Amino acid sequence: MNPLTSTVAVHTRGVDMFFGTPENRVVALKQAEFEARRGELIMLVGPSGCGKTTLLSVIAGTLTPQAGTVEVFGQRLDGLSQEALTTFRRQHLGFVFQSFNLIPTLSVLENVMIPLLIQGRPHDEARTRSLAIIEKVGLKGREEGQPNALSGGQQQRVAIARALVHEPPLLICDEPTSALDKDTGAQILEMVRDLSRSPERCVVVVTHDHRIFRFADRIAEMEDGRISRVVADPKLLDTTYL
Amino acid sequence: MYRLALNMLFGDRAKLAMLLCGLAFSALLMAQQSSVFFGIMSWTYTPMVNVRAQVWVSDPMVEQVNDAKPLRDTDLGRVRSVDGVAWAAPLHTSFVQARMQDGNFKLITLVGIDADTFTGAPAILSQGRIEDLRLPDTVIVDEWGAALMGRKTLGPDGKIRNTPLTVGDTFEVNDIQARIVGICKVRRAFTGGPFVYTTYDRAKAYTLGARRTLSFMLVEPQKGITPGELCDRIELATGLKAWTSDTVIWSWGERSLARNTFWWFWTNTGIPFSFGTAVLLGLFVGIAISGQTFYSFVLENLKYFAAIKAMGAGMGIIARMLFVQAFTAGLIGFGLGAGMAQAIGRVMIEKGMPPFVMYPQILWATFVLVLGISFVSAIIGIIKVSRVDAASVFRG
Repeated sequence: MNPLTSTVAVHTRGVDMFFGTPENRVVALKQAEFEARRGELIMLVGPSGCGKTTLLSVIAGTLTPQAGTVEVFGQRLDGLSQEALTTFRRQHLGFVFQSFNLIPTLSVLENVMIPLLIQGRPHDEARTRSLAIIEKVGLKGREEGQPNALSGGQQQRVAIARALVHEPPLLICDEPTSALDKDTGAQILEMVRDLSRSPERCVVVVTHDHRIFRFADRIAEMEDGRISRVVADPKLLDTTYL
Repeated sequence: MYRLALNMLFGDRAKLAMLLCGLAFSALLMAQQSSVFFGIMSWTYTPMVNVRAQVWVSDPMVEQVNDAKPLRDTDLGRVRSVDGVAWAAPLHTSFVQARMQDGNFKLITLVGIDADTFTGAPAILSQGRIEDLRLPDTVIVDEWGAALMGRKTLGPDGKIRNTPLTVGDTFEVNDIQARIVGICKVRRAFTGGPFVYTTYDRAKAYTLGARRTLSFMLVEPQKGITPGELCDRIELATGLKAWTSDTVIWSWGERSLARNTFWWFWTNTGIPFSFGTAVLLGLFVGIAISGQTFYSFVLENLKYFAAIKAMGAGMGIIARMLFVQAFTAGLIGFGLGAGMAQAIGRVMIEKGMPPFVMYPQILWATFVLVLGISFVSAIIGIIKVSRVDAASVFRG
């Protein structure tokens, strides 16, 4: 498959992942097959413990599976060294975390600058680009403030700005609305969808929040460590576990 | 990233304050204790500082300046006859009891100098004239000794007052009167006794019964001859021991009497152990407080470091961030600690007690040790962060 022409952004095949000792083995992923396409926002849903976060970590290159292949934008991640995985994450991934993970002792602007500085970009360039994206997420005028002085929704906007400032092709969102109320959650997802909508970018969102399912192009449901089905219409999902 | 690392450090003011306290206290303890140690050790060769002569000649068995082994007066003539000697003067030093007017006794360091040339006389007199030593039964006492040997009187408020001795006061040495004709400023001695200067011949009289009274000979080389060369010549010609008056204890060399005195006290007394323990304590306290505080700072920021790792920062970047944080705290802590040590030192120098000598080498050593503490703290933090799984950021 030619990575330049392929529509596939993320592809996992036969991924196995387990934790613990051989005697006390906990299976997190079992022959997990997952595919995300360029230009789409795909959600990973399922009951607690079904392996959503583990699959997300495997796709993000922060966990290496015991078996199977992981391909992100044409790059095989399985078998890469830790150093290569780190470099890959730096160039290709943006993260939005459940608990924001904004550094409280740094200003909003400095938090947003981090991915660019990690890439080795000059400070002035990082500052200019960060200011531009902070404006895009509607926080102009709050650049020098501390994250703790912002509301939960505003903090998540900062996190989105940080995730997108270096224009990564893959955006990973882990429960981005779990700490937010309904309206704020909807606003945040709308923002993620609008800002990340690009034919070359893919957004993978892990969520329990059925209120945001409508923002997904497709929804992959997980059960017992594998993808049980993928639907485009949220009404087709079994949401009794939510 | 380094700017952000510093902002992370300075953003947590409570932790930073504690970290700086630990480092500053450690630097203060190490610098101050070392300076007091070298101050006390500098007292051991005080006679070398107070009595200025380029070459000192002693009995061959002498190991340090406070351990004079009397020579024969005829040895002075032998030394004077050595080729390259411009002049040589006798010097007597001994510990004797002085009987004060109130009947109290004080142990004094009696220094007998050549009455013709006054070689070895104190450089600064705050009262009197050196020439008055040629008058009968006269002595010059140092300022500290004048206070120590002062008269105790009961004041009108019922408190005991000490009136320092002054020109014209008298005391007795071996039942011979000593009349003060001058008060001098000299450096205090390790042995603690006041310095009482008199002429060499009168010193003989004060030490009744002593068969030999020549402690050292003070020698000046002729022009063009270095003290070291003259020492060689004197030793070869007389069999006596000749020393240079160099008081730089950091350099190597067998010739310096001051340096030999310093090392004699180093190896034969418990002073280095005692002060070394205090310095080590400062080091360990610094490592404990700073290491613990920095570790707790890292722990508190662990999830952020994990997030930074997940975003693609390698351990190299994170290690450099932690080093920048630790070394910056180290530099500030050193500055504060060394500054406080200097301030305390100034007060000590003004009071004269305890002695305080802050060599540049002490500051350099303290600086290196504080950076060592910072390095250890950073390494502890780096180990902790390196063990954090980047995937942990997805676990809430």
